[in-house]
Amino acid sequence: MALSSGRPGLRAGPSAGAPYRLSWRIFDALEAVAARWPARAEGTVKWLLLAPALLVVGLLVFGLLVMADASLRVMDFRTYQLSDHYATANYVRLLAWGAFHATLWRSLAATVLVTLACLVLAFPYAWALTRTASPRLRRVLLVGLFLPFFVGQVVRAYGWLVILGQQGLLNQALGLLGLGPYRLLFSYPTVLFGLVQYMLPFAVLMLAPALAAIPEEIERAAASCGASRWRALFRVVLPMARPGLIAAALVVATLTLTDFAMPAILGGGTNDFLANLVHDQFFRTSNAGLGSAIALVLTLLGTSVAGLLLALAGVGALGVRGAR
Amino acid sequence: MRETPLAGGLALALLLLLAAPSLVVAGASLTAGEIVQFPPEGLSLRWYGRVLEAGEVRDAFFRSLEVATVCTLLALPSGTLAAVALARWRFRAALAIQLYLLLPFTVPLIGSGIGLMLLFGELGLLGRVWPVGVACCVINLPFMIWAVAAAVNALDPELERAAASCGAGPVQTFLLVTLPALAPGMLAGALVMFVLALNEFLVSLLLVDARTVTLPVQIYTQIRGVITPDLAAVSTVYVLVAAAAVLLLDRLVGLDVFLRAR
Repeated sequence: MALSSGRPGLRAGPSAGAPYRLSWRIFDALEAVAARWPARAEGTVKWLLLAPALLVVGLLVFGLLVMADASLRVMDFRTYQLSDHYATANYVRLLAWGAFHATLWRSLAATVLVTLACLVLAFPYAWALTRTASPRLRRVLLVGLFLPFFVGQVVRAYGWLVILGQQGLLNQALGLLGLGPYRLLFSYPTVLFGLVQYMLPFAVLMLAPALAAIPEEIERAAASCGASRWRALFRVVLPMARPGLIAAALVVATLTLTDFAMPAILGGGTNDFLANLVHDQFFRTSNAGLGSAIALVLTLLGTSVAGLLLALAGVGALGVRGAR
Repeated sequence: MRETPLAGGLALALLLLLAAPSLVVAGASLTAGEIVQFPPEGLSLRWYGRVLEAGEVRDAFFRSLEVATVCTLLALPSGTLAAVALARWRFRAALAIQLYLLLPFTVPLIGSGIGLMLLFGELGLLGRVWPVGVACCVINLPFMIWAVAAAVNALDPELERAAASCGAGPVQTFLLVTLPALAPGMLAGALVMFVLALNEFLVSLLLVDARTVTLPVQIYTQIRGVITPDLAAVSTVYVLVAAAAVLLLDRLVGLDVFLRAR
């Protein structure tokens, strides 16, 4: 430990025979300061410890307030200033704006399709992960889940550009067979495909603990009662895995609904989602008011889905069990 | 494996799908030719050399490192102290506090990003690099709290009582017993914060201008034009960093914790 390796310091006081280490002196001083802390102010210590985190998240809350404020002001395109007075014009405009509706439906349809696809695909992955007898396979599957998470969305989308592009690897390989080239990029199915492979690790991570909680004895009991494997799967395992399935669905749904990168990169501007619309309002048409209004609607949609998840799964997501 | 051949086979096929973009990018970066193609035109590391000398990509890489460092330095103390406070003290509004601290996860990134962009704009902080690091800390802070909270929950309170009965004061106990015991969790959290800040894209995109582009934004702008192998080289650096992070995390906390039934 750091304490025992500290070098012998100066002698403490005239009477001390043994060396009194410098680190001991420092700790004595610190303890003396701590002891000064009035006992009845004990309650403020915990708040002091919590304060930095509260402030950091406070930036986010402040940001949302500024955004809500901007969404209630109208952009004046002669001066490029937001109006001084509040108005609901931005929201009224959203109700009747065709491009917004088209984008909203495109995003919602993608959310449903991607969520369903992710659940169907995540189940066998999570099943193999939790049920395999081979530690090596489990390890490989686990690393395969975390690696994409840390590689980041842009690099992964870039990889798919290289694979699916007009002169991409897939078209070149097909060309060797005398096929193609096919125009694969910048289409709705490609965006959906990119989203599914991006969201899959999230779905597996939400599903795996639920599957791990189902004892294998239960499957064996179902089998010994004469249920076929598939019947056991649909009648026993899936109902028991429902909390995990719901959690996975909600996480994938929020992330898909609010995604920016996949539609931007694999859709190339032809298949924008709501987040892309927000970005365009700020950086292309410079309408901070309307952009803020869309962002706020999207935030409310996404937050309520995530809030639903918390209500169902409990706040355990922070992993804090609370004082014992 | 004997019992789950179908699921195992499907899982391996999906694994290939997950790994495909990273493998392809790494393969493409090694080409000796001028374009990304299949099969590659000979092997060479010249595109990595190009990254080292080229101005834009290298500058963006160093800016991303700065962002990740600022993010980690801010997250480490704030997240650790919050986790300790929440796990060790009783708060009257504990549920509300936890919901508040989870806001970065419940608010979609586009919402957080636009909000922070407007806020930083009001404060005159746009166009600098360090506020991007602060923003990355804001949006990922729950990961840090979560990592340390797991370590606090695993720490036996008897250890701290033992230290106290051996004569250690509260400060000494915290610094020499509690903190070292939390170190693996803190390190894991810091690692996650660093890597996620390194490849944070959307929030970066909203907060940077042409002079403060971070690497993910640089990659994004370049792939909209001609795809050249130097981008594959710098992307491969990301894949390698990610691989190192995953292996380190496995050492620190064990990836299996994510499979444990809750």
